[in-house]
Amino acid sequence: MSNEKRDILLHLYGEGEPDQDLRTLLSKPALKSEYSALSETKFRLDIKKKERPDRAVIDRILAASRNEATQNGKKTRLDRGPVSRRVQLRKMLLPALSMAAVVVVSVGIGWIAFSNSTPEPILSSMYENEIVPPESLYRFVPSGKAGISTASSQSETLSWDDGSSIPNLHNRISSLKPTSPLDWGDSALPLEMLPSSNSRSGFQTAGSNK
Amino acid sequence: MHPSDEDLVVRYVEHGDESAFRTLLDRHQERVFGYLLGMVRDREVANDLFQETFLKVISALSKKRGSYTVQGKFLGWVLRIARNAALDHLRARKKWRDVESVGDSEEVDYWSRIPDEAPSAEEEIHQIEMADLLQAGIAALPEEQREVLLLRHESEMTFREIADLTGCSINTALGRMRYALINLRRHLTSQQRKDLSEVVVAHE
Repeated sequence: MSNEKRDILLHLYGEGEPDQDLRTLLSKPALKSEYSALSETKFRLDIKKKERPDRAVIDRILAASRNEATQNGKKTRLDRGPVSRRVQLRKMLLPALSMAAVVVVSVGIGWIAFSNSTPEPILSSMYENEIVPPESLYRFVPSGKAGISTASSQSETLSWDDGSSIPNLHNRISSLKPTSPLDWGDSALPLEMLPSSNSRSGFQTAGSNK
Repeated sequence: MHPSDEDLVVRYVEHGDESAFRTLLDRHQERVFGYLLGMVRDREVANDLFQETFLKVISALSKKRGSYTVQGKFLGWVLRIARNAALDHLRARKKWRDVESVGDSEEVDYWSRIPDEAPSAEEEIHQIEMADLLQAGIAALPEEQREVLLLRHESEMTFREIADLTGCSINTALGRMRYALINLRRHLTSQQRKDLSEVVVAHE
C-alpha cells in the first residue's frame, strides 16, 4: 500500500498527521475516487447499530463481581491484623484521653471562676497600712510546709483574709455612737438646740465668735 | 467529569466498590460484545465468550490486578482476553485459518479469500435490510480483515492499538482495514445489483 493511500485511510479515521493536507492528497483523481468509496462504506459501518450482550449475562457478571468484592473485603480484614490491634488500642485510649481532657478543663474553669469571685480589696485610707502587693492577694501561702517564707506565712489563711478590718470597723462605729445625742428616728431639732458645751461636738451659729 | 478506567479499577480492587466495576462494564460492553459477535457470528456463543471474558477480568483483578499492569489500557487488556477467548473458540471449531500476512501487497486478490461458508445465501439476502446486509458482508470478510474492522469500528481502537493487540505492524493493520472496506463495498454493491436484477426479472 502506498503512503498516500495509507495517509488517506488515516485521515478518514481521524488519525492522520496534522501537517498532511488532505486536499493535496485528493487532488489526484485516483485517490479521490478511493477516498470516496472508502468513506461511503465507513459511513455505513458508523451508523450500524451497536450490539449488547443479553441482560442475564450482565447480571451474572455483576453477581460475580459482587461476590469477589465481598471476598476481597474479608481477605483484606484478615490480612490486616496489626492494623486492627492498633485500631482497638486507639479505640480504648481515645475515651480515656477524652475524659482526662474534660477533667483538666473542668479544674481549670473552676479555678478561674473561683479566682474571679474573690472580692476586690477596699482601698481606703484606714486600710492603707494593710495594703498588700496585688500578686500576694491571690497567692495561697502554706504554713511553712514548703519552706517558703513570706510576710504572712505564719498563718494558713490567705494573706488578705485575717479578718482584722471588720472588728476594727465595728469598734470605730461603737466608739462614735455615745458621743452624739441624736439617734436615728428622732424628730428634727433646730441647730441652736444642739448642745454646745463641748466645743468639739455639736454645731455653732455662724454669728457666734466663741 | 467521568472517572478514568484506571480510577474505576482502583476503586473496585482497593475498596471493593462494586459500582465502579458496573460502570466499567457499562462503558465497554458494546465494544467487547460487538467484537466478539463479529468474530464468532453467533449471538449465543458471543454471550458465552463475553461472560467468560469478564469473569476472567474479575478473577485477574482480584489477584492484585493479575495481568492488568499497563496504566490507562483497560479496554486493550480486556479485548486481549476477549480475543484469546474468541480465537480459542474458533480454533476449537476449526474455523480460524492462519492466513499468512500479506503486508502491503496489492497484488493479492483479497476477495478470493472470503470463505465460501459465509452466511450469504440468496434467500437470506433477499429478505434482510441494509443493516443485515452489512452484517453479512462483515461476516464474509477474511478473518484478519474482519478482526481489524471490528476492532476499529466496534471496539473503537486506534490502528496503533490494533497493531499492538494483533501483533502486526501498523502498516499491516492499515492494509487489512483498507481491503476490508473495499471488499465490504464490493459485497454490498453486488448484493444490491442482484436484488435489483431479481426485482426486474419478477416484473417481467
